[in-house]
Amino acid sequence: MTLAFVVFAAAAVWTGYRVFRTDSMVRASFLLLASFLNVGAILVLMLAEYLGTALLFMMTVEMVVMALFMVMFMMNPAGLNPMEMVHQPRFAAAAGIGSAAALAAVALFGRFPANPVDPNAATIRALGSELLGGSMLVFESAGVTLLATMVCAVVLSSHRGRFGDGDEGSVAPPLEPGGDHRPEDDLVDDADGGHHMHHGGH
Amino acid sequence: MSDVVSLSPMLGVAVIGGTLAIGAYGVVVIDRLLYAAVAGWPLSLAWAAAQPAREVATVIRRQPVTTEAPDMILWVLAPAAYAGLAATALSVVPLGPGVVVADVRTGIVVFGAAEALAIVAIFLHGWAPNSPLPMIAGYRFVGVALSYELLSMFVLIAAALPAESLSIGAIVESQQGLWNVVRQPLGLPLFLVVTAGVTFTGPLDIVDANDIAGGGAAEDSGMAHLAWAAARAAMLVAFAAAAAAVFLGGWIGPVLPGAMWMALKTLAVVVTVLAGRHLLARVRPERFVRLAWTVLLPLAFLDLAIAGAGSL
Repeated sequence: MTLAFVVFAAAAVWTGYRVFRTDSMVRASFLLLASFLNVGAILVLMLAEYLGTALLFMMTVEMVVMALFMVMFMMNPAGLNPMEMVHQPRFAAAAGIGSAAALAAVALFGRFPANPVDPNAATIRALGSELLGGSMLVFESAGVTLLATMVCAVVLSSHRGRFGDGDEGSVAPPLEPGGDHRPEDDLVDDADGGHHMHHGGH
Repeated sequence: MSDVVSLSPMLGVAVIGGTLAIGAYGVVVIDRLLYAAVAGWPLSLAWAAAQPAREVATVIRRQPVTTEAPDMILWVLAPAAYAGLAATALSVVPLGPGVVVADVRTGIVVFGAAEALAIVAIFLHGWAPNSPLPMIAGYRFVGVALSYELLSMFVLIAAALPAESLSIGAIVESQQGLWNVVRQPLGLPLFLVVTAGVTFTGPLDIVDANDIAGGGAAEDSGMAHLAWAAARAAMLVAFAAAAAAVFLGGWIGPVLPGAMWMALKTLAVVVTVLAGRHLLARVRPERFVRLAWTVLLPLAFLDLAIAGAGSL
């Protein structure tokens, strides 16, 4: 049990560290996922079965979405090409080490109640009653707020496209200055030539 | 659940490995038989039964080729991860009356986690070779996968409602008298869509598709190709077993022993999915995404509402 905890904890920390050392958005996303999976395993060890296994699939889908959106919105279409993955690295490292030290101090010097969970206790039922009972308003408002935030973020960030603002007709520049032959004109649509209508409309 | 027989870890590994190996072999044999039937060839069980060995012998002798600067670790590990997830998914499905390898209270959540992680394995298998077509196939698979993933959550939760438990064994028990396929008629068809998606079969063969030159598996060769195909067949076995347990009453049935019923129902689901592979055209990814969010997802909500109303 202790050995399993040590292995999962070490793996969680190591993959978490690797997130910031890799040079690819896809690798960073899935290393972060690996870190979360190890945390989920630790939760299962602590007999929070539902939270642990739910964390596994929630984080999986979340990281897949994150990788997809990062690649969609950034300049590196594949995610396999090297790119700088960190901003303000010194400040971030200092803040990270500082908060990790603070949390470690709490873990080491804090006094925790010794209150082992009975393996047969109806923890899942209790959690469900809490989530859909006393704490329902809090969780539901948090969920709706997060969803609204995501939708707004996509709306705001997708306004400006690669070739200009979305509401002004974002089209690729012509191949020659002043000309009207554009790269996508070479991708001939076989059926109805619907592709060319894009330019006429704007 | 006091009457559950939990297998010892060693026996559990043997049972899961054996079931997946025999099942994957059966999947290939059934698939080739259905292919022959659709193509109008003479049906020969002997030919189909020898076909896996024949194909293995062909593939295994091929020269392994690689691409420029692939992510070798992910490329090699993806089939292993995918097969491991098939084993994880099957381990929470009861194979006979009360016989389940991992009797966890959150069986259906573990199954869902394995299903979600399979998306990662399939995507990374296409992403790792550092090659355009596999990568494009991987990304378009992710678009499709995010669209079918929610369906699975809703239909599985709906099946857990009458059982008042997240354990798949309890879900089977709750179908004494009336199977979920009747009680929640939308559940099984939607789950079959998910099954086709996770095993990228038939209309949802989005990732390793011929229209993109083999897609995620385009750069696979030799043993790697074989490992991926085997893992895919194993995943179909795990999902068919889950469909049989969650919607078709699992081991419940007269006269025959429970494990036999479970095997027969799993076989029926496998045949259904594989028949879809040979009879239905591949759907275009963007068309499926639209269909999934505008039609299938509301149907999944309806399924949940029916289950909720039935459990009042």
